[in-house]
Amino acid sequence: MKATFRGGVHPAHGSKRQTQALAIRDFVSDTVQIVMNMNIGAPSNPCVKKGDHVKIGQVIGEPVGALGIPVHASVSGEVVSVEPLPYLTEAPAMCVTIKNDFQEEWEELHPLGNVETVDPAQIIPAIKNAGICGMGGASFPTHVKLSIRPDQHCDYVLANGAECETHITCDDRLMRENATRVVDGLRAVMRAMNVKEGIIGIEDNKPEAIAAMEKACQGREGVRVQVMKTKYPQGGEKQLIKVLTGREVPSGGLPIQCGCVVVNVGTCAAIADAVIDGRPVIDRVLTVTGAVREPANLRVRIGTITADIIGECGGYSVDPGKIFFGGAMTGLCVPNDGAPVAKSTNGIVVFSREDAVSAEEDPCIRCGKCVDACPIGLNPYDMKISADVEKWDDCKKKHVMDCMLCGACAFICPARRWLTPSFKIAKQKIAEQAKKEAAAK
Amino acid sequence: MSEKKANLGKVFMNGVITENPTFRLVLGTCPTLAVTTSAINGAGMGAAATFVLLGSNIVISALRKVIPDKVRIPCFIVVICMFVTIIQLVMQAFLPSLYESLGIFLPLIVVNCIILGRAEAFASKNPVVASAVDGIGMGLGFTLALTLIGCIRELAGNGSIFGINVLGTAYQPMLLMILPAGGFLVYGLLLGIINALTNRKKGAAKA
Amino acid sequence: MSLILSSAPHIRAKDNTQRLMLNVIISLLPCVAAGIYYFGWRAALVIAVSTVSAVAAELIWQKLARKKVRIYDLSAVVTGLLLGLTVPPSAPWWMLVIGSFFAIMVVKQLFGGIGDNFLNPALAARAVLLASWPALMTAGYNVGRFDAVTTPTPLLSSASTMDLLLGNVTGAVGETCKIAILLGFVWLLITGTIRWEIPVITVASACLLGWLLGTDPLTTVLTGGLLFGAVYMATDYVTSPMNRLARILYAVGIGVIIVLIRKYGSYPEGVTYAILLMNIAAPLFDRIPVQRIYGHTKAKKEGK
Repeated sequence: MKATFRGGVHPAHGSKRQTQALAIRDFVSDTVQIVMNMNIGAPSNPCVKKGDHVKIGQVIGEPVGALGIPVHASVSGEVVSVEPLPYLTEAPAMCVTIKNDFQEEWEELHPLGNVETVDPAQIIPAIKNAGICGMGGASFPTHVKLSIRPDQHCDYVLANGAECETHITCDDRLMRENATRVVDGLRAVMRAMNVKEGIIGIEDNKPEAIAAMEKACQGREGVRVQVMKTKYPQGGEKQLIKVLTGREVPSGGLPIQCGCVVVNVGTCAAIADAVIDGRPVIDRVLTVTGAVREPANLRVRIGTITADIIGECGGYSVDPGKIFFGGAMTGLCVPNDGAPVAKSTNGIVVFSREDAVSAEEDPCIRCGKCVDACPIGLNPYDMKISADVEKWDDCKKKHVMDCMLCGACAFICPARRWLTPSFKIAKQKIAEQAKKEAAAK
Repeated sequence: MSEKKANLGKVFMNGVITENPTFRLVLGTCPTLAVTTSAINGAGMGAAATFVLLGSNIVISALRKVIPDKVRIPCFIVVICMFVTIIQLVMQAFLPSLYESLGIFLPLIVVNCIILGRAEAFASKNPVVASAVDGIGMGLGFTLALTLIGCIRELAGNGSIFGINVLGTAYQPMLLMILPAGGFLVYGLLLGIINALTNRKKGAAKA
Repeated sequence: MSLILSSAPHIRAKDNTQRLMLNVIISLLPCVAAGIYYFGWRAALVIAVSTVSAVAAELIWQKLARKKVRIYDLSAVVTGLLLGLTVPPSAPWWMLVIGSFFAIMVVKQLFGGIGDNFLNPALAARAVLLASWPALMTAGYNVGRFDAVTTPTPLLSSASTMDLLLGNVTGAVGETCKIAILLGFVWLLITGTIRWEIPVITVASACLLGWLLGTDPLTTVLTGGLLFGAVYMATDYVTSPMNRLARILYAVGIGVIIVLIRKYGSYPEGVTYAILLMNIAAPLFDRIPVQRIYGHTKAKKEGK
């Protein structure tokens, strides 16, 4: 029996069927709109101006602050604008818009060579210079994650190939087609942090990816594939660590506190590109699926506009009701199809009007399915009671800060209670309160 | 003079409706639940309590400036005991069957919250006539409430009102109503209905 | 284009409240069929009256209280069905109407509607009917297949095991055919509507205590309303605990009290009161903090 974590749900597995068997193909559009704050941390400072001619890989955004990473031009051409533009549903963000001249002119690259022979001390700076952040959706600057303090100790590097979210198959395809790159990236991280064990966790609904990765691991030092039972949210780093190593991340803490570092397989491939070829992050693989005529797994340039991508996929098959980035369990809705792709966008899903409508909230029937589903072991119905009356202190006592907003409880709830959104608000309010109290001191 | 009469009228209606001891103050629930198994029992208990209430209110009000504050409660109890003893002996002599069915709840009128409560809240602070009117009002309110509950319970649980069979022999009496559980149910439902109506009236008044 | 903006998750499991209730109704169909088979048209009438009056009660209440009419969620149907199945087939129609109205209006709606009832509505109504009209609720019903006995649930059984299993005995409309109950239990498990713990542990603890006190476990299970109560009444979502340990304690409590009432109490059947008592205790059990939350441990994890 495969080890698994407690709780969890099994959402819409059929959603992957549309794109599972489709090989990755490239798509280059004629305009890219590169946002300066694609990662957690301060937005990068644009260092080009309107009218400049840029090459692919040229730095167009300087890192700011401790969590800053550089932003690179993903196409060659003329900078059309450097101005704040509406970005998703947040405040306008500084964007550099480039008109592609399709010359594919590259900036000079500085490859370091084979990951097994390169000087380990050069790996993390190379990751920073390549502008790599978490490609699985988290968008945390990778070089910061890997730069651990001297008093911290890392025993495992875990490559997250679970892809437990619905609809998305980009990591699956990446592992099937570029298995060696993924292993190279993992080896690079292991060498940079001097870690002996690297485990690639893959859910058992991806047999081809498992086979490809196992083949790529042969002859490589310290890396192996571990097959995990398919269950959402197996790809959450807390659950991944628990199943692959048996350890638990302490509440409110980071994985390094239990000796683990988790990297998405897409990020691993990007790390390999950065070390071996000196290539910065200028493109990524994502899945386009749902109500589009020709769903696909595309390799697109960072900053490609959603409307162009949908056009590449044959356009909408029905009048779209909802478009979101990511999977259906944690995806972020976009207000229109002008939204650009960021470094951590792993999927674009279109829902028809009837799929998009949310069901109305019914009274809680106390069935307890949410308690069974929670991978952290919380009581969602109990937290919702406090959240509904805005008693944030009670919510905090009920450990809402441990909630990972995976959406499993809201998914399974027969009364269609808006559990996850309530917890998101509760966590925000509690964090605001904590900030206020800290500032007051 | 008419102002005083208006005030007395208000005091009286207060006891019957606005601050009805059973349905608004929720005092004296023990005899309410125990004794209302039939309408006559309810009425009898109400009448006995009214007598005691009237008498004790008058006496306590008359003596209100004399009774020292620190020992007022024992003094009230003594006065109330006096009247309870009177009514008990009278009932034993002239209404023996009612005396039997009220049982222990007759002497328990001494510690009935209504009587002590009114003594403390009203009689010890107001003149004699007002206290008397209050006593009558509260007593009447109590009696009406008990009779109402008693009627309901007797009708549902026995098919009769005041001993007169109303629903005929085909009626299968709902035994639960005679039991304590039925008492709680009826009392609770009545309280709920009255609260709902009062709130609706308040809501309409606000709007 | 006008797109809907909403918070994740964007998909839901296919089971909503109505589906769950429908699963329960389907699982009750074998009992309904068995009841009609053994007790004839009278049983069908009883079930129909109680179900219709339960739905009517909910409709009337929700209209009067100017709340959203929710009879489509089928929970009133379930309550009505359960009540109809736990009364003797000779129950008069007016008694069922009163019972259903009490179950829906007093136990369920007065306390806040679906999800807020503090007792199992059908069972509470049954208790009220039992206290109000004990003679009518314990009447046997003779259809010529067996000798009528005064108790509805033969605990002093002269019937054979096969008879008890198949339901060839007197009793309440739906409680007699144990095989039908088991079929329903299996359906509920397959559809994920209930968890196995409460019915299994209730029956197991009742059998264990019964055996310790001298009753054959088979008799404990096959006679009376134990099986029906354990599968349908004790598993009501609202009145059973949410945490696992709490559920186990709850189930053990029910089993123990049933046996104690049967053995030492003056009632022939203890299931109703055992479950009602434990319903009241369920929130207390839920307060036991058991679930260990991920990341919260007393011992420090390795890895500095």
